[in-house]
Amino acid sequence: MKCDDLKIHWPDFLTGDLSPKAKNAVDAHLVECAPCAAELHQITEMWTKLGVLPMEKPSPAVRDRFYTMLEAYKQGLEAQEAAPALGRSRRRSFSLRGWFSLERPAFKFAAAAALLLAGVAGGVLVGPAGPFGSKLARLEGEVEDMRQTTALSLLERASSSDRILGVSYSEQIRTPGASTIEALLRTLDSDPSVNVRLAAADALFLFAKDPRVKDGLVVSLGRQQAPVIQVALIDLLLEIRERKAVEALKALIADEKINPDVRKKAEAGVKSLTS
Amino acid sequence: MTDHQIMQDVREGQIEKLAILFERHHVSLFNYSLRLTGNRAAGEDLVQEVFTRILKYRATYQGEDKFVVWMFKIARNTHIDLLRRQKKTLPLDDQFVETPDAEPLPEERLEREQDAALVAKALARLSPRKQEILVLSRFQNMKYREIAELLECPVGTVKGMVHRSIQELGEIYQGLTREKCHEM
Repeated sequence: MKCDDLKIHWPDFLTGDLSPKAKNAVDAHLVECAPCAAELHQITEMWTKLGVLPMEKPSPAVRDRFYTMLEAYKQGLEAQEAAPALGRSRRRSFSLRGWFSLERPAFKFAAAAALLLAGVAGGVLVGPAGPFGSKLARLEGEVEDMRQTTALSLLERASSSDRILGVSYSEQIRTPGASTIEALLRTLDSDPSVNVRLAAADALFLFAKDPRVKDGLVVSLGRQQAPVIQVALIDLLLEIRERKAVEALKALIADEKINPDVRKKAEAGVKSLTS
Repeated sequence: MTDHQIMQDVREGQIEKLAILFERHHVSLFNYSLRLTGNRAAGEDLVQEVFTRILKYRATYQGEDKFVVWMFKIARNTHIDLLRRQKKTLPLDDQFVETPDAEPLPEERLEREQDAALVAKALARLSPRKQEILVLSRFQNMKYREIAELLECPVGTVKGMVHRSIQELGEIYQGLTREKCHEM
């Protein structure tokens, strides 16, 4: 197979969506073609790094603005429902454009009053003591539980893209439970897809403050066979400055069969963590 | 409940359920805009505007596209509209040197953030189209066929773009890393 014929599969390789037939073809080619192996290694590494880029959070004002808008909108709808059907012989569908079109003076006043009321009510409602605040907290808790359940369920699926989605769900959990962390570590250790394992490593990195995760990453390094995962784990362990990784790195260096790039990386890692 | 079921309820008048969709997607929408513009304020405006438009156009939701694809179609249009209004944007890397807390950063966190800043800086040097392809495929975890639906182009084009974009990103990142090493 020519190199160019093979490279069309790389985007699917990155997301773990390669068919078994294409994967066999890629694997067979990579054994024979060092430039392709190096190039694929480089883009996979960059793909991993891109995944480690932190998810930024917007300011709390975004949530306040949304709930204020939603509340104002609801009030607008309710006000419209309650209004006497002056001249309305048939039901009209609601139009936001119509609602905010401030053509008539009477409507101007009503809209301004509604907005003022919504602003004040929104502040009270969305605050921690307000009904919407407690509703919001409950909703957040429900969403958090739902993410954990969904992540765990997807991680058990047969399709690698589903399992990657499961990893992605787990990344959105603020405080993962023991079952989620265990599932991610299990995925990192034993998932048949390299990309799912890489994604699990990325996700675990987000929870690296948790001692279970740190220990799990170190143990996993000793279990991994794929160079790309070994390199990714070494990078992660160096980024979190996990000194317990030194022994695992030394074990890799001592392994005669280890990939030369991995050995080089492990040697640099030992040097960095012990300096 | 799936996004699709919730959006159907919103369309039928249960608009308070939009809160669930907001909680599920507002952070990813914010990051979509932030990665493309480097401007936090623009990202927050986009989130607000997208959910306002979802309410406004809820009757047009038919569920032919996956909800996320429909939402990102709105987000793309909103992004273009907001860009027209806000011509001035901050460089992406400026966002990452900001530290929200006044406490000095621990060494490891600093190193991690510096690397993330380098990746973000490399991303910002790609063309807007390539940035968007990577943001959608890597950060939003959208399938290539979903991105193809969103961008209205063949799946093969998306895959080719992903390949070229990640390759170019790697080269830029390596270059920036070398520059950083020379500075030290």
